[in-house]
Parts: sequence; C-alpha cells; structure tokens
Amino acid sequence: MKRLDWLSRCGLICLMVLVAAAVAGWFGLAGDPAAIDGDRLRPPGAAAWLGTDDLGRSLLPRLLEGIGATLLLSSLAVLVTAVVSTALGIVAGYVGGAVNEAVLRLVEVLYAFPSIVLAILVAAVVGPGRPAAMAAIVLVTIPLMTRLVRAAAATVASRDYITSAVVSGVGMPTMLVRHVLPNVGGTIAVQGTYALSIGILVEGGLSFLGLGVQPPQASLGVLIAQGGIYMVAAPWLVIAPGVVLVLAILSINVLGDGLRDRLEPREARSLT
Amino acid sequence: MNQLTPAEPVVVARDLVVDYLAAHGPVRALDGVDLAVDAGETVGVVGESGSGKSTLGAALGRLLPSRAERRHGSMHVAGHSVFDLAPQPLRQLRRDQLGFVFQDPIGALDPTMRVGAQVRRALRGRQPSPRRSTRDAVAALLDQVRLRDPARVARAYPHQLSGGMAQRVALAMAMAVQPRVLVADEPTAALDSQVRDEVLDTILALTRAAGTTVLWLSHDLNAVARRCARVVVMYGGRVVEDGPAHAVLARPAHPYTHALASSAPSHARPGERLTPIPGRPPLLAGPAPGCAFAERCRFVVDRCATERPPLARVNGQAVLCHRAEELRSTAALPLPARPTDIPAEIGGGR
Repeated sequence: MKRLDWLSRCGLICLMVLVAAAVAGWFGLAGDPAAIDGDRLRPPGAAAWLGTDDLGRSLLPRLLEGIGATLLLSSLAVLVTAVVSTALGIVAGYVGGAVNEAVLRLVEVLYAFPSIVLAILVAAVVGPGRPAAMAAIVLVTIPLMTRLVRAAAATVASRDYITSAVVSGVGMPTMLVRHVLPNVGGTIAVQGTYALSIGILVEGGLSFLGLGVQPPQASLGVLIAQGGIYMVAAPWLVIAPGVVLVLAILSINVLGDGLRDRLEPREARSLT
Repeated sequence: MNQLTPAEPVVVARDLVVDYLAAHGPVRALDGVDLAVDAGETVGVVGESGSGKSTLGAALGRLLPSRAERRHGSMHVAGHSVFDLAPQPLRQLRRDQLGFVFQDPIGALDPTMRVGAQVRRALRGRQPSPRRSTRDAVAALLDQVRLRDPARVARAYPHQLSGGMAQRVALAMAMAVQPRVLVADEPTAALDSQVRDEVLDTILALTRAAGTTVLWLSHDLNAVARRCARVVVMYGGRVVEDGPAHAVLARPAHPYTHALASSAPSHARPGERLTPIPGRPPLLAGPAPGCAFAERCRFVVDRCATERPPLARVNGQAVLCHRAEELRSTAALPLPARPTDIPAEIGGGR
C-alpha cells in the first residue's frame, strides 16, 4: 500500500487541526462564544486574539463554534448522501436495465438545477435553519455521487469475478454486499471527501444568504455574512472565517486527491 | 466421439442466433449455431476473435451481457433449456452443473477478498466430505490444482499471485463443485508459455477425473487439436467444421479450417512463408446471406455468396461448405507440412 503523498498529508493535518479547534471550542477552551466583552469592533489584540464583532463578542470562540457547526452539519449530510448514493448507485450499476435508467433519470433531474438554486428551494420548503442546510447538502451531493458509484458498480459488474460468482449461485443481496460494495469502496471514500467540501461550500452559501444556520448560532457562512457588513471598518471579521473556509475546502480536496491515488489504482497489474 | 450418440448430449445448441445491440444497429454474434456435446467429451472450439466462440460459451450459462439478445434457437444444458429457465432453477443449474474459467486469471478473482475466502465461497453448500473442516476442504482444492503452498495461497490476495497461480485458483473454484460442464475461454492466453502447458494439463486431468465435459475456447487450432478429442471450428457465428481432432487437422474439410491450419507457424518449415488468410472476418448485421467465409475463400463459386451452405458429411467431419465433397475428391486442401505428428489417442476422450 502506498502512503499518502506529502500534500495530502498536509491536507489531513490541516483538517485534523480544524476538527481539534472545533472540539476545543465545544469545551469552551476559548471562552463563551455568546459572552459580550464590552468593546465593539475591537481589532485583534491580546484581549481578543481575533478581535470582537459588532456586539462586542470575541471572534475566536465564535469562529471555533462556526467551524464545529459547519463541519458537523456537512459531515452528517454527506453521511446521508453516502448511504443513499451507495445504495442507489450499486443497485443501478449492477442490475442495469430499467432500474438503471430510472435512477439515472431521477438523479439527472436533481443535477439539472444549479446547486444554489436547489438549496434555496429546499430552504423555502423546509424553512431556514440547520435541517434546511443539511437537506440542501444532501440533495446537491447525491446526483454526483450516485452517478460515480453507479459507473464504478457497472464496471465491477462486468468483471469476470462477478460472472464467476453468478455461476457459483451467489444471490443478489450477497453479490451486492460482498462483491460489488467492497470493490466500489474506494470510489465511495474518494467521492465522500469531495462531497464533504461541496457540502461545506453549500452550507456557507446558504447561511450567507440567511437560509441556513440562524444567528446567534455561528457557522462559517453566518460569520462571513455578519462580518461582510463591516468589511471596511473591521476586515478581520470576514477574513478569519473566510480563510478558515478556504483552508477547510482546500485541505479536504487535497486529501481526496491523495485517497483517490491510493484507493483507485489503475488496472496496471502484471498478469504473470 | 461422433456428433450424435443415443445417450442424451449434455450440451445441445440448436440454430442459436444471438445479436449484440450496438449504437449503429445489431451485430450478429451467433448466426445459427448447431452443436451437440456428449457427457465427458473434451471439445476444442476454435475461431478468430469475433467468430462467436466466447458468445457461445456465455450462452451456455445464459451469461450474455445485457446488450446481447437471443433472436431464436435454443441451448440445452443437462436437459434444461437455459433460455427458458426461471431464475431459481437457472441459478441452481449454474451452481451445480457449470464452471467457467476465463482468459484473465487475475480479473477472475475478487481483488478485495483473500483467496481462501473466495474458494470457500465457491464451495458453499458443498462439502467434498462431511468429515473435513472447510479449511481442509479449501486446502485440498488448492492442492488438487497443484499449487505448491496451498496454505500460503489461501491467505494471499489475488494481486499477490502470479498469473499461473491465479488461473489455478480460478480453476479450483470452477471445479469446486465438480460441475458437469466446464467452459474454458482461452484459459492460457494471458499466461507465460512455460506455465501454459502445466495449467492445461491440470485442467484436463481434473476434468477427466471428475467426468466433466470441457468446452475449450481457443484461437490456436494446433494446441487444441493436440489435447482435445474433438475440434469444432467456428467462423462468422457458425460452426463450419466439426469432427475428430486428428481428422480436422490432418484433412481439413472446410476451406477456412484449411487456411487456419496453413497459417499456423508450427506447420511451416524453416524458411517457408506462412500463408495468411486474406481479408478480415465478417461483421454481420443480420443473417449471412450465403457462406460467411465466401469473401476470403480461394474456392469461392457464385452460390457461396447467395445460398447458405447445408451441413455436409465428409470423412468423419460435419462441414458447412457447398463444395466440401468436391474439394475432398480433388484433394484441393492438402496441408503443407507434416500433419501426422498428432497421435490420435491424445485428447480428452475417456
């Protein structure tokens, strides 16, 4: 097994730092995110490392809370996506025929909407809040992941070892779980990471528009939206969450690339 | 040994027609295949790529890809019409009566599962002897295919095996339940030449011991004729010649078989040029109007292009050629080299 290359390892470390920060914020190590210190829009300094916002709340604990909210929300949503997409994709790819067509058409309908439009639609139906953000992430990431898992499963389905298993009388459920699923596991892991970065982006966008996480709860999108108002007077309010958002997405994508290289090896094995 | 015997043949194809549905229209893969194979026979099915031999093998277990469609005709295996079976009996038929060995040995094993686990799954529901544990049964199976260190192989993943070892494992899995019919689709094409003979020996010895009927699909007429009692030559989706191996090789009755034999390097003397077959194999969109080989045939006459040749019997062979009788009597199809180096008794007949 190849190890991850240095870039993906940087991504992994960066992601772990973000998760650790979120956990630290959860335990209140950086202070109470809702506490008002007094001074409003104070620049970063010894008292408040990242400055304070328009209500005089220290930005650092708010940022940590935001990282936690965004990561947790996106991860949960991607988990749901992974389960649904894997089930749909494996069945469609292996069974083929009408089932395949039905799944593909269904997914294409979702795919036809621009993701932010779809997300706004969901928020309009469900009502703004965390559930809306999660549902939007799920609906935006399902089409991509289903299609890729389906393609991988269809390739696996035409392999000789599947034919061998059919000949030896393996039934459909066993076939899907024991033979197809493990062989598309790499694709699922890789697409899961990409879906996670898309999820973070969607959450950011929705919350920025005021349709996702609602203040006073923090998320990266909420912080950027609130900080954006004081872009000139207090740029640190938008720069800190913005940088974190970029870092999170970048590190996840880089990690995904590394996983792809490792889990989806080319079919270049020696035959003899 | 001959084509039809009173005992019911274990594999019977009757006028089997299979099309592949491509984007630009159907492509005919099997154009009316007639074939009957008796229990325990070892039959070499020879043809170029695209002759339909792999499709025939897949049709045996109704394992055709979804874009393939049977147009008409039937395929009976062990008395069951495979295209008319309900899912459950079909599954049973495949599990109990059929074994497949494929060309790419590594691809025939699940890369995510240890070899031992895969062999165990191939054994499922079947225990060679109730006394032994499954682990012993797996080891015995791997030992049977002459793998040197069965315990180590059982712990390995497929990508850790060499091609020859993987093909032996695939064979062990195919033969785990002692099927009645084994379809070997170019089982040695991807192997080193020195491993090739060993693997073939193993396949034939195992199947002979189990009384399994073997359909060995290959493009190598000479290799097949050396080891099989009977050779079936396919061209353009039809069986164009069918007969005892030594007869087919020594006195080919179909111009295509003759051309195939003449183009084989083993028949040339040093310094002599090989005789290639001019042209390309046909790509049929529907039934061939006449003989599929007409375009490339040296002996072509007008009706070859317009009239499908009927089955003719020449010597011991069944031939699809309008001029079979005529060609035999004029000795127009001699082989350039020594065809008699194949002793008649070698082969799979028991």
